[in-house]
Amino acid sequence: MIEPLLALEDVRAGYGSAVVLDGVSLALPERGGLAVLGRNGVGKTTLLLTIMGYTRVGRGRILWRGEDITQRPPHRRALAGIGWVAQEREVFPSLSVEENLTVAARGGRWNLAAVYDLFPRLAERRRNLGNQLSGGEQQMLAIARALMTNPALLLLDEPLEGLAPIVVEELAAAIRRMTSEGANAFILVEQHADIALALTQDALVLERGRVIHSGGSAELLADHAALDRLIGLRLAEAS
Amino acid sequence: MLPPVFGVLFDGLAYGMLLFLLSVGQSVTLGMMNFINLAHCSFAMLGGYVTVVLMSSYGWPFFATLPCAFIAAALVSVGFERAFFRRLYRASDLDQVLLTIGIVFISVAVAAYIFGTEQRPLQLPAYLRSSLTFMGVRFAVYRLILIGLALLITLALVLGLDYTRFGARVRAAVDNERMARGLGIDVDRTFAITFALGSGLAGLGGALAIEIIGLDPSFALTYLVYVLIVVSVGGLGSISGSFAAAIVLGISDVAGKYYIPQLGAFLIYLVMIGLLMWRPLGLIGRR
Repeated sequence: MIEPLLALEDVRAGYGSAVVLDGVSLALPERGGLAVLGRNGVGKTTLLLTIMGYTRVGRGRILWRGEDITQRPPHRRALAGIGWVAQEREVFPSLSVEENLTVAARGGRWNLAAVYDLFPRLAERRRNLGNQLSGGEQQMLAIARALMTNPALLLLDEPLEGLAPIVVEELAAAIRRMTSEGANAFILVEQHADIALALTQDALVLERGRVIHSGGSAELLADHAALDRLIGLRLAEAS
Repeated sequence: MLPPVFGVLFDGLAYGMLLFLLSVGQSVTLGMMNFINLAHCSFAMLGGYVTVVLMSSYGWPFFATLPCAFIAAALVSVGFERAFFRRLYRASDLDQVLLTIGIVFISVAVAAYIFGTEQRPLQLPAYLRSSLTFMGVRFAVYRLILIGLALLITLALVLGLDYTRFGARVRAAVDNERMARGLGIDVDRTFAITFALGSGLAGLGGALAIEIIGLDPSFALTYLVYVLIVVSVGGLGSISGSFAAAIVLGISDVAGKYYIPQLGAFLIYLVMIGLLMWRPLGLIGRR
């Protein structure tokens, strides 16, 4: 059996004494994408924060390349190869676009030239400060900043949320391009289930902190009845 | 011929530069890391005693002792930071004040025990005690060197924060600590180094201060007041704010003692009240 890149074993996690995730297990291969779907407030963001090390894990283990990282602090997980694109983008307002990109950069195939090629708009705004960008540009910067750390696994927390349709298309295209080369694994948390399923191989649906469905993305995308039942999504409405 | 006011301005500027060196580290830890370190001037005092001991007991030249004053204060402060302060980064203001004021009292007592309570003067070489006369105004060589050194350090600090990767990491960690950690930045280490640099500058300031304001064990308490005035008038976390405030306060203190001796040392407090009423967040306030 091939060792998974990331594995969660029966993880219970939350904040303080509040439990948000319970009994979550998953195994992620070295390549490919996993879509994490579910209604609002079911623990999707908490799942990513738990992988990053920002929550309190009460039970279970998190394994990175077979090594137990359950107690490891966030910056050491990042250094080990987990890249995080936060839901609120959280670009550094007092750093320029270029400084945002280089401040935590680590060597690899994603360098300034490569991310500017992926997001030409960032190259135009390289001298601007982080807080002078539009929402879409901030999202591009957050993704590019995580790529600059050359992660083996990229966590994307609702990267398309709250953006204009044309920007959503642009970003989805960039994510497709970034991930189709298959250089790293990624987990995509997304409200736009149709886009997320089209970008990934596997999908996982959360409900009240538990995994209620796990399977192939293509099958789930084709099964409208299951989608409606699992996340209350009617694709006809959404598209 | 220049009128005597230039001499007063010059002395005030030199005094202001000294206040800046003593306070810039305090401004950074208070404004950026949200930690109230009242023991800041204890590290400055440590730097002063390092210079005194190296010169009087080991015969070191004055300038050779300055890097040692910087390094000693930086190292000891980072020891305190690792052992005590970092445990209180998220504690209440009162806890931080109680811990660090306790360290101040201990440092005063330890200094009195080891070095005695009297002033420790420096035996500076003759050229440092001389002065240049330019258009009828005497400029003390020591104060000229002090001003030049402080200007160089200010420039290095501002450029370092704005243009180096370490500076960018400090700003990133201040902007958003959680995100900085999530990108692999070791925020604890970044803050510890920043803290050590600030304390080192205080140690250097303490060494440079001996010739101008003297050194005895009460230094850690007496100058704490001036440092806090500079930090609050300048604006928390602002290097350029501290710089401006230190100059204004340094000049007004010297001018007050020169022109209005009856008011003497009180003018600096009146200036502080006036500036804070005008700009409650400080000259260049972040928040």
